[in-house]
Amino acid sequence: MNFLKNILKQSGKLFEEGKPLSWAYPVWEATDTILFSTDKQTSSGPHVRDNMDIKRVMFSVVIALIPCYLFGAYNIGYLNALATDVSRSLIDNFIFGMSYVLPVLIVTFVSGAICELSFAIIRKHEVNEGFLVTCALIPLTMPPDVPLWQVFIGTAFGIIIGKEIFGGVGTNIFNPALTARAFMYFAFPTKMSGDKIWAVGPDGYTGATALAIPANPTEYDTASNLLNQSTQFDFSLWNMFWGLIPGSIGETNKLIILIGAAFLIYIGIASWRTMLASVIGLVFTASIFNLLSGYSTNAMLTITPLEHLLIGSFLFGVVFMATEPVTSAHTEKGKWIYGFMIGVLTVLIRSINPAYPEGVMLAILIMNMFGPLIDYYVVQSNINMRIARNA
Amino acid sequence: MFRLKIKKGHDINIAGRSAKEFLPTQNCNSASLSPQSFRYIKPKLLVKEGDIVNLGDPIFYDKLNPEIKWPAIASGKISKIIYGERRSIQEIIFDIDKQQEQSLQEVSTTNLSSKEDITNYMLENNIWPFIKQRPFNKVANPSDMPKSLIVSLANTAPLAINHNFTLSEQKEYIISALKHLKELTNGKLFVVIRPGEFEYLSELEYLNLIEVEGPHPAGNVGVVINHLEPINNKDVIWTVEGHHLPILGKMFSKGIFDPSVVINIAGPVVKKPGYIRTRLGSPVGIHCKDNLIEKEVRIISGNILTGNKIDMEGYLGFYDSSISIIEESFDRSFIGWLHPGGSSKYSVFNSYIGSNKEPYNFTTLQNGSNRAFVPVDAWEKVFPMDIYINSLARSIEANDIDEMEQLGIYECDEEDVALCSFVCPSKTDVGSIIRRGLDLIYFDA
Repeated sequence: MNFLKNILKQSGKLFEEGKPLSWAYPVWEATDTILFSTDKQTSSGPHVRDNMDIKRVMFSVVIALIPCYLFGAYNIGYLNALATDVSRSLIDNFIFGMSYVLPVLIVTFVSGAICELSFAIIRKHEVNEGFLVTCALIPLTMPPDVPLWQVFIGTAFGIIIGKEIFGGVGTNIFNPALTARAFMYFAFPTKMSGDKIWAVGPDGYTGATALAIPANPTEYDTASNLLNQSTQFDFSLWNMFWGLIPGSIGETNKLIILIGAAFLIYIGIASWRTMLASVIGLVFTASIFNLLSGYSTNAMLTITPLEHLLIGSFLFGVVFMATEPVTSAHTEKGKWIYGFMIGVLTVLIRSINPAYPEGVMLAILIMNMFGPLIDYYVVQSNINMRIARNA
Repeated sequence: MFRLKIKKGHDINIAGRSAKEFLPTQNCNSASLSPQSFRYIKPKLLVKEGDIVNLGDPIFYDKLNPEIKWPAIASGKISKIIYGERRSIQEIIFDIDKQQEQSLQEVSTTNLSSKEDITNYMLENNIWPFIKQRPFNKVANPSDMPKSLIVSLANTAPLAINHNFTLSEQKEYIISALKHLKELTNGKLFVVIRPGEFEYLSELEYLNLIEVEGPHPAGNVGVVINHLEPINNKDVIWTVEGHHLPILGKMFSKGIFDPSVVINIAGPVVKKPGYIRTRLGSPVGIHCKDNLIEKEVRIISGNILTGNKIDMEGYLGFYDSSISIIEESFDRSFIGWLHPGGSSKYSVFNSYIGSNKEPYNFTTLQNGSNRAFVPVDAWEKVFPMDIYINSLARSIEANDIDEMEQLGIYECDEEDVALCSFVCPSKTDVGSIIRRGLDLIYFDA
């Protein structure tokens, strides 16, 4: 270990200011601190510091996402076996799925690392570990058979337009992972539109996702009935909870997402307020729509709150995307409003607008945009209290 | 009696807490008064090297406010005046002459009944600098009328002294000090205590007792100000350090300037942490000698959150009541950010399994690199005030004075946000941001 430490120390001198490699200092700093924790000391008070740093914060989110990858890979294999009518063991299903997941993951990280490192060098800021989370999130929101070149471009778009042009981590407005996904959704609609089947099958294999069924019914019925009538997949509530249904790689298994949520809340880095408020907003709006469904022939209005929670990527988006600290509202009260509106908008976009079967992505992006405005009014009330006291 | 229950905050579980016992008293041959302990003053010396002075004699005054003079904290010779950059006075060092000190006459204490009497008495006897003001945490201006006066006898900072222990024999002087301090304000005199301590104070009708419960920074003056006595417009609030009460009390009641104080020495690398009977501006070396586990150490005058780094030859700061000592560590652990936890880690986040259980050996390591600020609500976990600290910090970064005022910058000070810096995963120094904001306002006015 000391040998490696010395190599890093010696090589570090080449990257100091005025030395030939000084332009690549951020790259050296990142490598150095990933291998060995920094020996940087406090200079003045507080003379002691907590052991939590940004590396660990970001790494914790990545940990919470790993089970999503594992189940996602298995699910790809499982659905493929179903479509091609072969029987495979659990391990084989997993390996089959991994052969789709790994290339996407690798391409995302290569694309993300190129963008992050280039910007770190040009802008002379440290490599921020946040890009690891962005890159870990992007593949989970993709269909399994997404073309890799699209992933490469989408990731680059997300990191550059979603984050770096605003000044990097801490100053971005939109969640970079969702920016990437939104870009791909609109740029490559044939692969990403969400109503066609999201599973790996033989050529010409097709079918409808859970959200597309009540969106385009052949005959009006309640959403529950329509889902139950589907013969291609088991869209029962339990099966949708366990996630053995087509969808983006990481979002189908709700149990794993809930465990991830509990983990992040326990550690203290994701806001339970945002999550709870989103669920309240969704249940509230869905209940109102249920009441109004008798006056309409839109089957989407009959989706019960519980079905809304289990169908599609709502939980995944709320737990891992909406809670992203930089782009969410920053104040406690603000988080309640921010979360609630995500829930409301998700149901609105899903039910009222037939063009977008899934609404959570757009709901979060829209609320990302409103986050600073919400905070402004929350903080303003504190200011007004102080002004009133002064008067 | 008012009860103030604080929920947000954190008591850092650091090793090396002082036992409630006194260490052998060391012979103190020198003492130092540093003008650097006082903010925003322009000191002008009244003495030169080699002068013989008596305890309480004026040593320097503030050019901006010439009526405020600083006392000699010892009798004897001014052995050295140390200058820093641009001839700023760093330290005034006294060689103590014990015989000369004992032969001092007391001053007359008759007729100390009005604010004017007491103010004049304090100014004449050069003990005014014991009174500080909020906002800005600087020596108070005698011509102001403070909205109220707050004395905190609940020192909740990590490794801090327990006033209930150190002041146990000083009841008479504490009462005398409080009685006279009350006259300085038209408003209330708040005294902050921990539950069950200083019971005799509840009999004094002229003061408002506040019993604080909860973790640090519950005992900070700033927390009381924010909760009970918010600072409006041009308000000022005066404060006195708890461990200075006996000095003021003795001065008011007997006319004797006695620079004795009780402080403590604590920290993970101290062999025998405990309390010390010493005096204002005492050298720290005599107390540390033979009491350190041999390591490269950092000696801090004050507590580990807000104190100043000094060296072995350094002296205790004027307002400080602790010597805290921690290890200077340059340790680099392999892939440290992946560490599962255990007793080698400490965090207010539940990120390490089985951490925080035992008193932790904190070192000077920053435990992470500086990064762009990511608001994971870490500051808010430990900041018990009705202030949007994140917005306040941003308004300071933007040099927006109006917004700083509106967001309540006058109600807080560096010490109140020290825990925010402690927990921040991005390793942001929130205290220096707040100080920069206060400086900006002070010099703008």
